[in-house]
Formats: sequence, structure tokens, C-alpha cells
Amino acid sequence: MKKIILLVFTLALSLSSCEKDDICDANTPTTPRLVISFYDFLNPSVLKNVTNLKVVGEGMTDGIVFNAATGDAKYLTNGSTISIPLKTVGTSTSYSFTLNSGNTNPALVNVDNIKFDYTTQELFVSRACGYKTIFTLDPINPYTHTDAAVADEKWIEYISVEKSNLENENETHIKIFF
Amino acid sequence: MKHTLRSFFSFCLLLSLTLVQAQETTPVKNDPKSTKTDQMIPEAPLPLVEISPEIIKNDSIPVKTDRYGIRVGLDLFKLTRALYDENYKGIEFVGDYRLTKKYFLAAEIGNENKTTDDDRLNFTTKGSYLKAGFDYNAYENWLDMENIISIGMRYGFSTFNQQLNNYRIYNANPYFGEVPVIPSGKKFDGLSASWIEVVAGVKAKVFNNVFVGFSLRLNRLVTNKEPENFSNLYIPGFNRTYDGSFGVGFNYTVTYFVPIYKKKVKPVAVAKKAEKK
Repeated sequence: MKKIILLVFTLALSLSSCEKDDICDANTPTTPRLVISFYDFLNPSVLKNVTNLKVVGEGMTDGIVFNAATGDAKYLTNGSTISIPLKTVGTSTSYSFTLNSGNTNPALVNVDNIKFDYTTQELFVSRACGYKTIFTLDPINPYTHTDAAVADEKWIEYISVEKSNLENENETHIKIFF
Repeated sequence: MKHTLRSFFSFCLLLSLTLVQAQETTPVKNDPKSTKTDQMIPEAPLPLVEISPEIIKNDSIPVKTDRYGIRVGLDLFKLTRALYDENYKGIEFVGDYRLTKKYFLAAEIGNENKTTDDDRLNFTTKGSYLKAGFDYNAYENWLDMENIISIGMRYGFSTFNQQLNNYRIYNANPYFGEVPVIPSGKKFDGLSASWIEVVAGVKAKVFNNVFVGFSLRLNRLVTNKEPENFSNLYIPGFNRTYDGSFGVGFNYTVTYFVPIYKKKVKPVAVAKKAEKK
């Protein structure tokens, strides 16, 4: 009798102690970022690495952190694919893409602006993660490509929308040719 | 959480006290007649007394009877939770009917109104439930004790609605800052779920026909009608749902036994010996 009660209580306590252990797993697909791949304009099937690209959101002072380096270098990328977050509040996000950012030769530094237009949808994920936002790029005007205030030639030659439904980060949504 | 634990412990304490009381045996006073020794020395030899077998008969064990009837009561845990948890209102009535010596038909019926406040979600669940099944008493009572240590099963069914009060968007890359809590108020009606429970319980007679008891339940969902773009994170009667289909439950009951009829207990062991001869 006593043993049974003891067993029951330990069981009850062990169950009550594991109540608040759920945190959103990092591997759970939640709000996706916009995945952009860079391609060679002259050879459109070949990926091309950018040189010291800095991406800054409109109204933000700091760029998107691309690597673990210290100082301003962490905002720079030299890869061929980037993932940038879109605003979950509102229906458009603007970014400035600076090529050769920080270069001592100002003639090489080139800034292009792209504004992405989309609609959002909120989907339930789980108790720990809450909801996520998925995006659908505007079918008519998915993006607006403009040159920066300092008028130089746009470094981006062509932008192609590969996937207008942004549901996960496993695929390229936008291809940029330069 | 702190309050939940505190009250849980106090319940345990209360429970153990009542159990102790139930187990307490009052010391039987020795019959003064039996211990009394005759001081007087008989003058004459005692006359022979014929011992009739009837006397021996009177000495035998009285016939044991089991009481059969309905036990009704309510869950104090749910009832008192409303006192310290402003996000919870609930009531549960429990009842059982003794079918045979060991088996009881058992049922619970209840209503719950619970607001769950999680890190990312805040929602209110309202609904009623019914559970029906049986209990098997595995405890061999002495004499006229009527305590129960039981294992049982239930089939539970619940109809309810959920209202999403507010929620947050999970964004692993909060470059533009963390998204604030978004108020919703969206209501999901016409939801239902059913499940199977395995119940382990104890009931002890504290006085007369009043019993206190508690039970632990392990639940497994059978059906679950989920709302669109939300989930049944809490189901009345089933309690909190986890990633799998399992859940746990608990109740602390006070019940009153209404006896309907009595049944004599056949002395099984003696009868078997007689057959062998």
C-alpha cells in the first residue's frame, strides 16, 4: 500500500516537472527568408560569387550579418547565395545591395536598391513556435529595381523570380544576374 | 506554476492524512468478563455442564456482506483550482456503480473553461466532456472495509471550442526587430476529440459512506478534430496535448456512497476444502 502511494507520487511529480520544456526547435521550418542566388549575366547557368556585397534594409543602419567575422567584415559576403529576411508586418521590404562595399576605390563601389512587394499569410506551426509568416511575391510587380541616389550604372543586370511562393529556405526564390 | 505546485503538495498532504485516518485501527478493548478470574474457591466440585454444539456455532465468524450501490461525488482539484488560478474554471462530477465484487462501472462528466498563456500563444478553451468505463478493485479488504485500489479504463469524449486571443510570429532572423504580440480573437467552433484513458486510483472510506480518493490517468487520443490553422493544444477532460497523442490527467475526489442492496460473501476457501474431502 505504502509502496504504491510512493510510486504514484513520484510518477505525478516527474510528470509535473516536465511541463514547460518545449522551446521552438531551430530545425523547425518557421518564417522563411528570401533566398537569392547570383548568376553570371554572360553565362546564365553558372553561379557567380559576389565581391564584398553588403545588404542593408531600408531604415536600418547595420547590414545583414553574413558571417562570424568581427567589425564591418561580418556584413560582407563573397558567396553566390544569400538569405535575407522580409518584414512580417506590411507588404513590402526594401534593401540596398552594395557591391565592393568598403573598397578604397569609390568608383568600384556600386549601390542598387530593390524593393520586394508581397502578400503575407500566417500559418500555425506549434505550441512552442507559435505562428510563422509565409510570403507570396506580387504576381505583377514582385520587385522594383532602382539605382541609388548616386547615379551610376546598375550593377545588377537582370532579376528573375524563380519561386513566388516563399514557404521554405530550401530553394532559390530569386536569381540575380550580374 | 508555483501556486500549482504548492497546492499540489498540500493536496498530497491532505490525501495522506485522510489515508492514514482510514488505515487507523481502534484498539479493541478487552472484554472485562473474559479476563475476570473467579476468586472464590468452590466448596463442592463443580457440576458437569453439558456443552452443546450450539455454543461453538455462536463462536464462528459472522457472515460477511458486501454493500452494492452508487457512489457519487465531485473532483475537488478542479473545483478549488478556480480559487487560485484565475485562468481556470472547471467542475467534474464522478460516479460509479458496483457491478460485481471487483468490478465497478465508472463515469466522469465535466465542464472546463481554461485560458492557456504560453510564450507564443494565448488561447481559451471551453467545453464539456464525458468519460465512461470500468474500474477493477485489486485490493482485498479485511472484514467490512470498503477501500479501493483500482485499475480501470475509460473512453472519453469532448466537444469544445477554442478562441485564439493573441499570438506571435516566430522569426528566427529578427533583423527588423521582434514582431510584437498580435491580437486575434479568432474562434474555432465545433471541435471534438475522443480518447482512451488508463486509470490508476485509490479510494478510502473516511467515515460512514464518505470516500476520498485520487486517480492518475494516462490518456491516448483516438480522434481529434483539429481547427484550421490552429491546433487543439488543450482538450477539456484530456488536458494539455503534447506532440504525440498521449496526455496525463489527475483528479482528487470526494464521493458519497448510496447503498442499494447487500450481498453475502461466500466463504470460498472453506467450500473448496470441503469439496476435496
